[in-house]
Amino acid sequence: MSVDVTTTTSGTAKRRSQNVFWRRFRRSTPGKVGAIIVAVFVLLAAFAPLIKPYDPYRDRSLIDRLKPPSIAALWSPAVRERYTTPEGRVDYLKHPFGVDQNGSDVATRVLHGARISLQVGILATLVAMVLGAILGVLSGFLGGWFDNVIGYLSDILLAFPGILLAIMITALIPTNPSDAGGVIASLIGWMQARNIDVRLYGAMLAVSIVQVPIYVRLARSVVLSVREREFVQAAGALGATSGRVMFRHVLPNSLTPLIVQASLSIATATIEVAALGFLGLGATPPAPEWGTMIADAFQIGVYLTAPWTMIFPGLAILLTVLGFNLLGDGLRDVLDPRSTQ
Amino acid sequence: MSAYVLRRVLRTIAVVLGIALVVFVFIRALPGDAATVILGERATPESLARLRQQLGLNDPLPVQFGRFVSDVTRGDLGVGLKSQIPVLSDLRNRFPATLELTIGAILFAVIVGLPAGVIAALNRNRFADNAAMTVSLVGVSMPIFWLGMLLAYLFAVKLQWLPPSARTDIGVTFQPITGLFVLDGLLRGRPDVAWDAVRHLVLPSIALGTIPMAIIARITRSSMLEVLSQDYVRTAAAKGISRGRVVMKHALRNAMLPVITVIGLQVGTLLGGAVLTETIFSWPGLGSWLYQGITDRDYPVIQGGVIFAALVVSVVNLLVDLSYAVLDPRIQYS
Repeated sequence: MSVDVTTTTSGTAKRRSQNVFWRRFRRSTPGKVGAIIVAVFVLLAAFAPLIKPYDPYRDRSLIDRLKPPSIAALWSPAVRERYTTPEGRVDYLKHPFGVDQNGSDVATRVLHGARISLQVGILATLVAMVLGAILGVLSGFLGGWFDNVIGYLSDILLAFPGILLAIMITALIPTNPSDAGGVIASLIGWMQARNIDVRLYGAMLAVSIVQVPIYVRLARSVVLSVREREFVQAAGALGATSGRVMFRHVLPNSLTPLIVQASLSIATATIEVAALGFLGLGATPPAPEWGTMIADAFQIGVYLTAPWTMIFPGLAILLTVLGFNLLGDGLRDVLDPRSTQ
Repeated sequence: MSAYVLRRVLRTIAVVLGIALVVFVFIRALPGDAATVILGERATPESLARLRQQLGLNDPLPVQFGRFVSDVTRGDLGVGLKSQIPVLSDLRNRFPATLELTIGAILFAVIVGLPAGVIAALNRNRFADNAAMTVSLVGVSMPIFWLGMLLAYLFAVKLQWLPPSARTDIGVTFQPITGLFVLDGLLRGRPDVAWDAVRHLVLPSIALGTIPMAIIARITRSSMLEVLSQDYVRTAAAKGISRGRVVMKHALRNAMLPVITVIGLQVGTLLGGAVLTETIFSWPGLGSWLYQGITDRDYPVIQGGVIFAALVVSVVNLLVDLSYAVLDPRIQYS
């Protein structure tokens, strides 16, 4: 009987704390807007093959090269004429975002690009967060020479302008099995055999490494404040090992700022991977990565006559990044009420 | 105070040395050593061995690092593999263009961002605030290479209000003094040149300055809100000082400290963004030079550019830290 009582009370307590979270989140306009944008992009990415069942790499129609967006038929008579079917009907959704210089449908490529950008942005952030959090927690917990060395290394990495450090690291990451040795060579071979874009994941790793020191500092500072709290000292006094104190008590209570930072980091990572793609250091063409698409439009100058080749991929980057930034702001409002301005 | 300055300077030197070490390790880790890069894949083993000996590639790593550091401090950053021009002279020739662009971007960022932040704070949660914060959120989320292309397409190609590339019109000739063309035009008594340079500077400055503008607007707003809620501001208002005077003289001055920090911290973002902006607008500065270096896999160029940028960022950060003492006498150093 008494067991029953405890489970019910802890159940309601949990539900109540979730309610608080949702109530606060629903009051945060940026959070809501951000969550909706992110959700839309996640859904678009998940169902891209169903919405646009063309191959974004290979399906091309050379006759339609650089054809303007069919949605422009709504206001432009010239475009309306080009999209009028033999039956005299205007097909507004034929190529809603136009056709690029290779004869590919821009809308299809932008849609499939969402799969690449979301995946890479989230993965880059996860890698940075895990690496940074481990180093930061250890650094704050152990102190001493370890803390000094990690602090010094973070200072060095933070002194590089982010994108420049990422450029340097991408130049360093081997893309051919013959350039590397041992495990890395076989990893690259394995990726190539499965048609995984080695250069794209190289760019992802570079963006990740750039973000690691941010998490190191954040995790360290949170740990320093949490470890002085009574419950941590109580756990230590009860005889818990330092590893247990660190990962069972300190880390879970340090997660809030890390989660907020993660949402903002996905935004930064998305934009930086796109920038690397624009510089020719990201995805291998003709992959429908947004930055690489803009680079293609820029390099041969087609954007001056056919601006839709770059407008829509760029808009997709802007919206994704905006979504994650808003979500991050909203989460901060919810999880850290003190910072509300 | 002087102990603090000394410690801070020493830390900067340590960081700069660390940067040199990172870059050194980076070059060593690249596939193919300098000898193979210079002589090409098909060089004979004998000539490779001879060049390695000449370049000192057979010495122990710490010795090589020491030589690398002493080369860099003497300004010897090697020679561009493609251009065969010393990296340092490229850096020196192209730096003024990037400096002028960066100044333009910071001016744009401050002129737009600061008033936007102040107006937002004074109209908290009203229309002006929401509008300013929406614009700044879009600003921080902006892929600036895309913004640059949009600006070039709209204002240079469609409307033809401003030139799309380069620093001056073709055919404009004059003797540069500082390398900052707007300033040079004025110093030489050639307002036409200065005006031409300004017209070329506008679009790239907006592209590069948008993210800092957005960040400055957000920081100014939150800093102003904090200051406006303090007792001394209420006291000043209660004494009958006009609202404008309270805001401008009492609040804004104290709200500036975090803003200045942020402007300092943006220098790194600006130098990184210069690579993208200069590429779009064919701006003959360090950024487009570095982009060319990346495309050509020209490692001495990448290395020189990255070391230089990191050095500038470290020094600016140091100056920002030290300027606190001047700006805010309450800060105690021990």
